[in-house]
Amino acid sequence: MISIRRQLTREMLVAFFVLLSGALVAVYFAARDELIEQFDDSLRAKVLAISSLTSNEGGRFQVDVRDRFFRSFHKDNPEDYFEIWSATGEAVARSDSLGGADLPQPDRPGRPRRVRLPNGHTGRALLLKFSPAQESGEHGEGETKPVLQLVVASDGESLAEALTELLSIGAASGVLLAGTMLWLIPRVLKRGLQPLALLGEQAAGIDADTLTTRFPTVGLAAELQPIVSRLNELLARLEISFERERRFSADLAHELRTPLAELRSLAECAIKWPESREAGADQEVLAVAMQMQTIVTNLLMLARSEHRQAVGPLVPVDIGLLVEDAWQSYRTLAEERGLKVRWEVASVIIPADAGLLRSIVGNLFENAADYAPSGSEVRVRLEHNATEVVLRVANHAEGLDPADVAKLFDRFWRKEEARTGGRHFGLGLPLARMFAQAMGWTLTAALDGQNQLEFTLVGPNPAKAN
Amino acid sequence: MRVLVVEDSARLQRSLGTALRKSGYAVDLAGDGEEGLWLAESHDYDVIILDIMLPKRDGLSVLTTLREHGKTTHVLLLTARDTVPDRVKGLRAGADDYLIKPFDLEELLARVQSLCRRAYGSKQAVIKVGDMELDTLGRRVKRGRYPIDLTAREYLLLEYLARRRGQVVTRAEIEEHIYDGQVDPMSNVVDSAICSVRKKLAVAGDEPLIHTRRGLGYALDQAAAEAPTT
Repeated sequence: MISIRRQLTREMLVAFFVLLSGALVAVYFAARDELIEQFDDSLRAKVLAISSLTSNEGGRFQVDVRDRFFRSFHKDNPEDYFEIWSATGEAVARSDSLGGADLPQPDRPGRPRRVRLPNGHTGRALLLKFSPAQESGEHGEGETKPVLQLVVASDGESLAEALTELLSIGAASGVLLAGTMLWLIPRVLKRGLQPLALLGEQAAGIDADTLTTRFPTVGLAAELQPIVSRLNELLARLEISFERERRFSADLAHELRTPLAELRSLAECAIKWPESREAGADQEVLAVAMQMQTIVTNLLMLARSEHRQAVGPLVPVDIGLLVEDAWQSYRTLAEERGLKVRWEVASVIIPADAGLLRSIVGNLFENAADYAPSGSEVRVRLEHNATEVVLRVANHAEGLDPADVAKLFDRFWRKEEARTGGRHFGLGLPLARMFAQAMGWTLTAALDGQNQLEFTLVGPNPAKAN
Repeated sequence: MRVLVVEDSARLQRSLGTALRKSGYAVDLAGDGEEGLWLAESHDYDVIILDIMLPKRDGLSVLTTLREHGKTTHVLLLTARDTVPDRVKGLRAGADDYLIKPFDLEELLARVQSLCRRAYGSKQAVIKVGDMELDTLGRRVKRGRYPIDLTAREYLLLEYLARRRGQVVTRAEIEEHIYDGQVDPMSNVVDSAICSVRKKLAVAGDEPLIHTRRGLGYALDQAAAEAPTT
């Protein structure tokens, strides 16, 4: 599994080591060049001093290095060396520190060169061509001054030691810094990513029973705000979905308990007292089974329409014709109950799922036919304008109060929470509304002061709109 | 024992009525809360089986009203509501027992029987009167070593008298507890049943157990406790 903290730690450490190594190397070389430069400056000063102290006494060249500043040229403290050659290449003077040995001659004057000294050490040497000062003016005018070659060399051991020390200090600092960063970076990253870890822990604690939980957004890092907002939105959607499923299961279980109890007690009575088995018992069993089938089918249709799976392709439908046709199924019942129907329906072609629309209209008619008081009037009116088609179904609703209207579309809601002979389960109106919503229509109910209950189904009328 | 069933499902009403009658109970049926409350207040039932979701008046309202009116009849709530809060609400409203649909018929009958026992302050399953033993669980009666073969209604009559052993039980009380609304109140079903039970008990033993208190009713007890008016 990829860990952001581990990955960041690795990348930051690699970057740090590369930068640290580069910085240390740069510092080392800059310091080395500075040390060598200082060493060479000192060498140049010594060359100038030796050349100015060289005198020509009738062809004999003398260098007076008795001053205490030139102790390093003495044989008892050999750190610096010089040797002077005549134009013919003959060594005319050399320092005591050479002990009679010769210094190597750099090929060009002016720039110090790295040389191997007679004592085996490495050092740096500088060549200077000069004419020594004439003692007591012994040679006359027009006499050419002899040009000598002076080489001054300094032992490089102290320089090498300084460079080694510099390297050691650099390496030690590097190791110390690297160790510190190895310890520090993971901890800093861990602390920096703490809110993410906290978020992970909170998320791990959420299960199907705690979907009401929301991640806190107050005091959260700006980078995590969008993630937490999306997670909270996801939780809200999950909660609604789980609640819907839970309600479905609970409603289903609750509504099936009574028919199951009927079925079970019928069977147990028949087994225990076979002589008491009535002639219509099988019809009873079949009726209970059909009732359970209707409940399950309706609930499944509700669940599917909640997920918008119920709607088929929208095709041109004559809603006026469909409404009149749908009424035929309830006409006999309405006539038996003495209901008078007032029709105001015309032919209007609209795009719809004919099956769903018929189911919606059928549910409205079934309610009117069953619940309108005997001998009362049922009004069915179809209106259409430039953008909408509106179907209104109204009837007198005995015993219904305004508070009940809000519950009409709740699943399994029935006035008095009672079953009515196994025909109504409180699923028809919720189903009709779900179907309407699945098609993009609306279904509402309203109760006026005279207890006239009116259902209003509104759908788009694109043919007119265009 | 007389039981009132208040249940709006006609099929369940029929099944429960059959099962309870076959088990020897007198059964009255009601299809809604109003009718159930009226019956419960008009008669002295041993047990009421009450649904909660009822037309006109819900079961909990019926139960609360009964308790408010001082009715202490044992009530078994028979409902599809299965959550713990529903059960707590039902029991707190004054129910004595709670059974969830769908239910086992045997369990329902056992619970009704248990409530009947509690109605007479007895937890014992076997009632002994002299040399007669009445097993309320097995619904069997024997006298001495001899089993007595009784019809369901006769057994119920004997059990009712046994539960009120030593007390004078009036004909009206017997009619109220043993016979349901289907029996003609002017008939002499009680006297006939008493006579029949006496005859069956006499086959296994000479000592009379059911004694007549003239003008008052009947009492079940040993001969030693018998009053001289017999």
